[in-house]
Amino acid sequence: MNTVIACLRLLSVTFVLFASLLEAATVEYGPVQRDHIEVELIAEHDSARPGEPLRVGLRLLPDPGWHTYWKNPGDSGLPTLLHWDLPDGMVAGKINWPYPERLPVAHMVNYGYEGEHLLPVTLDVPQELVPGTELELVVSAEWLVCEVVCIPGDATLGIKVPVSADPPAAVPTWSGLFAWADKRRPQAVEWPARFSTESGQLSARVRLDESVTSADWQFFTAAENLVDHPAEAFITQDNGWLQLAMPLSPFFVGAPERLELVLVDTSGGRAYSVLAEPGELGTMDDAVPTEPALLLILLMALVGGVLLNLMPCVFPVLSIKALSVVSGAGHERAHGLAYTAGVVASFALLAAILLGLRAGGEAIGWGFQLQSPWFVGILAYLLFALGLALSGVFEPGARLMGVGQQLTTAGGLRGSFFTGVLACVVASPCTAPLMGTALGVAVLLPWPQAMGVFLALGLGLALPMLVISFSPTLARLLPKPGPWMETFKQAMAFPLYLAVVWLLWVLARQTDANGVAAVLAGMVVLAFALWLTGRPDRNGWMAPVRHVAIVASLVFAVAALGAAVRMESETAAPVQAGWEPYTAERLAALRVDPDRAVLVNMTADWCVTCLVNERVALNTEAVRQAMADHDVVYLKGDWTRRDPKITEYLAEFGRNGVPLYVLYPHNGDEPRVLPQVLTPGLVVQAMERLQ
Amino acid sequence: MKLSAFRIIAAATALAFAGSLSAAPEIGQPAPDFSVVDTAGEVHSLADFHGQTVVLEWTNHDCPFVVKHYQPGNMQNQQRMARDEHGAAWLTVISSRPGEQGHVSPEQADELTRSRNAYPTAVLLDESGDMGRAYDARVTPHMYIIDADGILRYMGGIDSNPSRHSADIPDATQYVVVALEEMAAGEPVSQPVTRPYGCTVKY
Repeated sequence: MNTVIACLRLLSVTFVLFASLLEAATVEYGPVQRDHIEVELIAEHDSARPGEPLRVGLRLLPDPGWHTYWKNPGDSGLPTLLHWDLPDGMVAGKINWPYPERLPVAHMVNYGYEGEHLLPVTLDVPQELVPGTELELVVSAEWLVCEVVCIPGDATLGIKVPVSADPPAAVPTWSGLFAWADKRRPQAVEWPARFSTESGQLSARVRLDESVTSADWQFFTAAENLVDHPAEAFITQDNGWLQLAMPLSPFFVGAPERLELVLVDTSGGRAYSVLAEPGELGTMDDAVPTEPALLLILLMALVGGVLLNLMPCVFPVLSIKALSVVSGAGHERAHGLAYTAGVVASFALLAAILLGLRAGGEAIGWGFQLQSPWFVGILAYLLFALGLALSGVFEPGARLMGVGQQLTTAGGLRGSFFTGVLACVVASPCTAPLMGTALGVAVLLPWPQAMGVFLALGLGLALPMLVISFSPTLARLLPKPGPWMETFKQAMAFPLYLAVVWLLWVLARQTDANGVAAVLAGMVVLAFALWLTGRPDRNGWMAPVRHVAIVASLVFAVAALGAAVRMESETAAPVQAGWEPYTAERLAALRVDPDRAVLVNMTADWCVTCLVNERVALNTEAVRQAMADHDVVYLKGDWTRRDPKITEYLAEFGRNGVPLYVLYPHNGDEPRVLPQVLTPGLVVQAMERLQ
Repeated sequence: MKLSAFRIIAAATALAFAGSLSAAPEIGQPAPDFSVVDTAGEVHSLADFHGQTVVLEWTNHDCPFVVKHYQPGNMQNQQRMARDEHGAAWLTVISSRPGEQGHVSPEQADELTRSRNAYPTAVLLDESGDMGRAYDARVTPHMYIIDADGILRYMGGIDSNPSRHSADIPDATQYVVVALEEMAAGEPVSQPVTRPYGCTVKY
């Protein structure tokens, strides 16, 4: 290393000498010929007026087939550099880069200009300049001009511009070139825009101005080393939003703090420059996502939580709990707070698990816990047991239920807390179908906001009880406890049984008829065990027998569930309208068929994004029509239960979650992976490009 | 709430792709194997260098950016440092197609090594471009470092200043030098991926 440093030092001395020689380079006026390019410093007007900006520019005219580079040169190349030497008081702005052309070279892509082009710069002309004098403007320019091979060039160019008080006149020779540069100059706009570099791609979302109606877009990123230039870019315009995506460069190191996107409206011939902020794209709505939007989401979550109290799986438990709270003497507030703490803590825990999994890269949505047959089965048992308790089959000794007088004791506070936990647990099957999508949004939010949504939901669930416990007036409005409560309690068992039926239906989808039968048998045994707990022992020897029977029954119930979980249902997927179940064999057969293209959709029932995509894009008439028009066979793989074959397929594409959409062309060429969020336009467009 | 949420999600764009399907090599993963003939007609593969650090240098002697680093001796110094101080093998790779800029005969390649006082372990003539494509080498110079276990530790540019002036070399971070020293010190390479700059490889 020391030798290297020594050599570098020696080098730098040589270079300083060399550089000073360069500075003495003579200034050349007018067009200058270099290898494969002609360059010239030109001014837009024939004179400069004191106090008014003056536009000049470097004119470059490469040989046919040769090009120079944009500020982001792409896979290779270098942007043209300008160093100004100006009279005192004059300041040069940056190059107003015209948007470039995409120039493919072998399997790489550069961004630059072919043919005559201009790099315009605006100069500030001081007020103090005296008319009648002459300005001498000098620039040293360095460029790289390439065909396939590249030749670096430089020149020190000058131009003399007279200072005049008269209005300057445009130089006719250059008006076309300045007009060309103006037409290609991106207009700086402040449209809301976000970008993200997650999961191996640049994705961006831009809210278009209402005046912009184009549907043909092209985009360039000013940041080097960000996107994989040769890769295909996805651009779609949907409802005033522009969505962009492009795989990241293999040499991607980190995202810029702000990303300049140059958007070119190819049909309207206009270009815009947008600065995008890094952030989650999912949170962008009609306006820039700000506090009001978040507040609204939080408010909706709170209201949703309150509504949860009316759900068939929650109401029976809570209504009775409410009545017992008000019937209790004193400590109501403490109980209300303990209960709230229980609910909110449980929601926080669930949210933490969910967000943790999300951070770990799992593609999950709310309701993920229902993916586990164990969870569903235990929940079915629990709700069934609660129902039996309400029906009076047994008197629960457990404080969990809290239907009793324990509340009046301080120790009952723990009971209230766990009632809160229970409320969250029993609420969860109801939240899944009703609030799944809403919570799906929460999952897309940055984690503090997402946690906020869950907490708001929990608070909403706890709110009615909290209010009752804090307001004696409200509590008095509730009916007085009395014999009617027993009737009410028993009636409340029925909604619970209905909730159990729903859970068994979910379970049936995860296992099969045998599995459901096993769990039903488990429920009967569970009922037997619970019934036994309430039986008096007539003989001394009966007690141990009864206890053994209870334990044995409970063990059997759990074992039955275990057996059910192991029963994998055969995917009974009848060929539905438009799609066939995915198998590797079917895909292989279709790929060699030159008349058919294939769309593979890997999905799962618990994946909210998947369901949304199917609803808004894949199952639309436009997409069905496109499939028919382009002979696309639609294969659907269901990952609702873990399926090693599908896991393997996902892994081939570097994924460990769904959704995944892959489009295979007719000719057996490399497949294309579609974005994770689909629009009908995007899918149709992808299919149109197949041929 | 449900509807509004639905709309937000439908509008949401977590537009995601799997990375491009052409498999670029990955840092921390085994480097792609190769089997390429050198100027003496000897075939080299990655496995031959097991137990030794390997530096790959894509080159094209007529590329101005290659000249930038050879003319003042920066590339040669790094070759000496890598081989003599770190015991590394330095493979200079030419992926130019016959007829394209940078393509040379074995004799011309040896002559270039002599005249430029270069110090590679071998100069590989990858006429087919297979090795270049396996490494996704895009420009000259494009540098890669593979550790003694065959794991890719560095890929990217020769230094941090994408200029064409040799005068800029002393102030630029020489990535290969830094990476080799970090590897010798048992540290992770601080900048394992950088932007390669130069002329496109003439496949």
